[in-house]
Amino acid sequence: MEIIAEYLKQERSQEWREELRKSMKSKDRTTKVRVHMPEEDPIKRAKSHIEVNRGLTMEIAVEEAQRCLDCPDPTCMQGCPVSINIPKFIKYVEKQDFAMAARTLKETNALPAVCGRVCPQEVQCEASCFYTLKLKKIPVAIGHLERFVADWERNSGNMYVPEVAPSNGIKVAIIGSGPSGLAVAGDLIKLGYSVTVFEALHEPGGVLKYGIPEFRLPNEIVDVEINNLKKMGVEFINNFIVGKTATIDDLKEEGFEAFFAGSGAGLPNFMNIPGENANGIMSSNEYLTRVNLMNAAHDDYDTPVFLGKKVAVIGGGNTAMDSVRTAKRLGADKAMIIYRRTLDEMPARAEEIKHAQEEGIEFLNLNSPIEYFADKNGRVNKMRLQKMELGEPDSSGRRRPVPIEGSEYELETDLVVVSVGVSPNPLIPASLPGLNVSRWGTIIVDDKEMQSSIPELFAGGDIVRGGATVILAMGDGRNAAAGIHRYLQNINKK
Amino acid sequence: MKDLTTKYLGLNLKNPIVVGSCSLTSSLSEIKKLEKNGAAAVVLKSIFEEEILMDAESQLREAKENSFIYDKYSETLDYIDFHVKEERLNDYIQLIKQAKKEVLIPIIASINCVSSAEWTSFAKRIEEAGADALELNVSLNPTDLEIRDFEQTIKIIIQKVLAQVKIPVSVKINNSFTHMARTILDLSQTGIAGLVLFNRAYAPDIDINTFEAVQGRSFSSPESYTETMRWIALLSDKVKCSLAASSGIHSSEAIIKQILAGADAVQVVSALYEHSTEHINVLLDGIEKWMEEKGFSSLEQFKGKASSKNLSNPAVFERIQFMKHFSGIN
Amino acid sequence: MNRIVAVENLSESVVKLEIEAPRIAQKRKAGHFVIVKLGLKGERIPLTISSADTEKGTITLIIQKVGVTSHKIAVLNIGDEVTDVVGPLGLATHIEKIGTVLCAGGGVGTAPLLPIVEAMHKAGNRVITVLAARSKDLIILEKEMRAFSDEVIIMTDDGSLGKQGLVTHGMEEVILREKVDKAITIGPAIMMKFSSMLTKKYNIPTEASLNAIMVDGTGMCGACRVTVGGSTKFVCVDGPEFNAHEVNFDELLSRLGGFKDEEYKAYQTYLEGLKKETV
Repeated sequence: MEIIAEYLKQERSQEWREELRKSMKSKDRTTKVRVHMPEEDPIKRAKSHIEVNRGLTMEIAVEEAQRCLDCPDPTCMQGCPVSINIPKFIKYVEKQDFAMAARTLKETNALPAVCGRVCPQEVQCEASCFYTLKLKKIPVAIGHLERFVADWERNSGNMYVPEVAPSNGIKVAIIGSGPSGLAVAGDLIKLGYSVTVFEALHEPGGVLKYGIPEFRLPNEIVDVEINNLKKMGVEFINNFIVGKTATIDDLKEEGFEAFFAGSGAGLPNFMNIPGENANGIMSSNEYLTRVNLMNAAHDDYDTPVFLGKKVAVIGGGNTAMDSVRTAKRLGADKAMIIYRRTLDEMPARAEEIKHAQEEGIEFLNLNSPIEYFADKNGRVNKMRLQKMELGEPDSSGRRRPVPIEGSEYELETDLVVVSVGVSPNPLIPASLPGLNVSRWGTIIVDDKEMQSSIPELFAGGDIVRGGATVILAMGDGRNAAAGIHRYLQNINKK
Repeated sequence: MKDLTTKYLGLNLKNPIVVGSCSLTSSLSEIKKLEKNGAAAVVLKSIFEEEILMDAESQLREAKENSFIYDKYSETLDYIDFHVKEERLNDYIQLIKQAKKEVLIPIIASINCVSSAEWTSFAKRIEEAGADALELNVSLNPTDLEIRDFEQTIKIIIQKVLAQVKIPVSVKINNSFTHMARTILDLSQTGIAGLVLFNRAYAPDIDINTFEAVQGRSFSSPESYTETMRWIALLSDKVKCSLAASSGIHSSEAIIKQILAGADAVQVVSALYEHSTEHINVLLDGIEKWMEEKGFSSLEQFKGKASSKNLSNPAVFERIQFMKHFSGIN
Repeated sequence: MNRIVAVENLSESVVKLEIEAPRIAQKRKAGHFVIVKLGLKGERIPLTISSADTEKGTITLIIQKVGVTSHKIAVLNIGDEVTDVVGPLGLATHIEKIGTVLCAGGGVGTAPLLPIVEAMHKAGNRVITVLAARSKDLIILEKEMRAFSDEVIIMTDDGSLGKQGLVTHGMEEVILREKVDKAITIGPAIMMKFSSMLTKKYNIPTEASLNAIMVDGTGMCGACRVTVGGSTKFVCVDGPEFNAHEVNFDELLSRLGGFKDEEYKAYQTYLEGLKKETV
């Protein structure tokens, strides 16, 4: 920790930073008003897949960067799971040296354009910003600035490819190309390892591709970041399921010395209520994969998808919001969130809920489905709901929904998306008998280096967490990369 | 060999001994042992909605202490109570299926729910899993001031379940109702296949040294059969469904008495804990021996022989308080 | 990657393709399947591996032209590449020596049945195979089946080959004649439903290998869910084989028809497009 503090101090005392700090009085900085992210018009955007957040202009970004006080003790960094040097990149924005700002992001973050879009900064860096903690003011828009820098660099046509150490020839296998796997790959390739990422699907990116919709994170942006990793030397192998196409033992024989399992939480939960297997009822994983990865809504793609006019999405998380907003964009007249508790208890990000409301999503809170009905062709046409009331808080602090006796009623629907969470994909654990897993089926790892009970196997992301955010997965990836590095250095010394 | 067969809930039982819902009936290996030792049927350990809720709570607490698992954005944790329920139900269904595959005696499932919505969904799944019958363990919380009418609440639960399943449904009730005879008769007419009298009430106690509440006696006492027997004797001619006697069934004599009163079957639990599973053999031997002595060749010959209709002095069972006249009848 | 090394037309609508996929060839067992995707805009469909050659590093897939994707794959030539092939997926068939095994294959379902017949035969079972189809042209793999079966009975709806009648007629004939210890049925869902009803009547343990709509094939989407014995299972990870007597075939049939209209329309448009091209 001291080394990091020392390093930050050094960086901060560079002349250009000192000058910048002097260029404006703190009071002038703190009296500036935080920028607003320009958003596409709700009515227009709900009919297309264009990104909702339009990004900051250069002028606005520089204005916002001026709010940052370049604190001697940048508490914001403690809130960042991938430890971005936040004041440094923001000060480069203020200096209008956007290329250097981009380099700064890439020192620790393999996917800045992704994080700038999907991280819940309000509970991470921005929650630990000096403005939030001490001034009780609205924090610096760190997330918006991160996105601005990443987009600026991409649009400049001159992407910086971070330098990599000379190859040490040690092979590391990364299972899954979602956010955690990409983070590991980015760090290990810089250290000189020979990194191969195995992806089960036909395209790399994991949940960033199949899960998060275009209007929040265009696939093209994910591809740019992946291409950057390829340029650094990371090898991607698609259509390869570790545990099926080859086992970890097979890969060991092929020379891989360490493994990172970032295979995600790839098993959707259903509610198992009567009628749930009717046509037109599916998991959010299926719905979003068909639309986002398979482009099912485009006529020239072969994959079909059920379209609905009255779409019910069950659940209150970010995936539920993604699903219901997708349904609206695919032409639903009524796109509804059906949630057992109230808006206050919803796990979705406040921003996503706000965007959904603006787009005309209906919220049927305190409602829970208990049965589905289908027409003669087996297609869902109706659901029975039960109204709930909130009881005592449960151990998570959320008030527990309790059914109201006799409150059942029926609602017409022609498409239902079930978004009540995912379970860890059992493929890896099932193929490794010696692996310790938790009662939830997640791989148990030590919390610093992400090492599992099998020494050469590290893990992170949803296979360890059971269903969390992109940035936590990336943080795991960075920790695991450090763990793998230490592990490999140790065994290769012997 | 005597003919001990009896019909209970429309099921043909080889003898009247049904092992009641308890931990012994919660695993396949134990169920196999019970069958081997002569049990005619088993009621599986109840699946308790309340227990599921508590398990979900403990998982949430565990998750909260685990920095990896706990995430405020997790849709899974938001629905953890639902998923825990699903897991428990699934285990239960697997037990039913395994038992149906590996033993020949009827398997009666048992459920205890808090919310009426769950009664029906559980019942449906249990029927699909292949259970031969379903026992509703309707021990409503007597301290629940929200419930105004226990009888009505039970009837609603029965109606809802019967509308969902075709397998025979029995109801196990407590021994405390305002008007026991009326309640038993009314319930027997709801379309259920049988009534189980009675559920053993949880008996808390107080430790006089620590001043703390503690669990009281957890097994029934051999004397407690009399209360059940009384209601069976009084009502077995009048009810529209099977009757099973539960509580205090520790000896062959107790079983014989219940059958004489008109029970179609008995449910044994405590005696098996106090002795062992093999005790079923002892009970069966005792019944056969008595039948031999009395010259009965089948259970049907004496079932209900001491029910209120067949008794010369039925008033014995109707009295509430001791009077000199009756206390001297022996 | 995934180059086609051999093509054989088994009938007018059924094609056998041998594809280079050395890793899959190495790992596959009877019962396994792959997910195949053709072209950038193609859809992902599951296909059972019919056989494999570990030395050549190839797997054999048998495809019937029933829709756009299967048609596109079925008209590929030697040297063409299948864009994406991933597997082997699913649980392998449980193979053991049990006595007499009755294997029933309907239409193109004969293809996934072949490796099971082969494995059951090699495990020392007496294997009786019933192959059924609408007519002579649709009976496939007869020769290969004969190599691993003690007896092959052929049933056609029109009597153009073997006996006239349904698959269940052929099966019942065997069941009435001798003791059958296990039955395996693979084919259209409706055929499996009726053969399962038949073996249930005679109390013969029966496995059915289910075909279902899938996207990823690894348990991620749940498109392939099916009710077995009252609980929901995923065909891709819990199957594809299940106790046939517990499968809710009506639900399976309904789910298979989920995209029927869209698929039909897409296929007609595609076929018209083909016609225009040839004109």
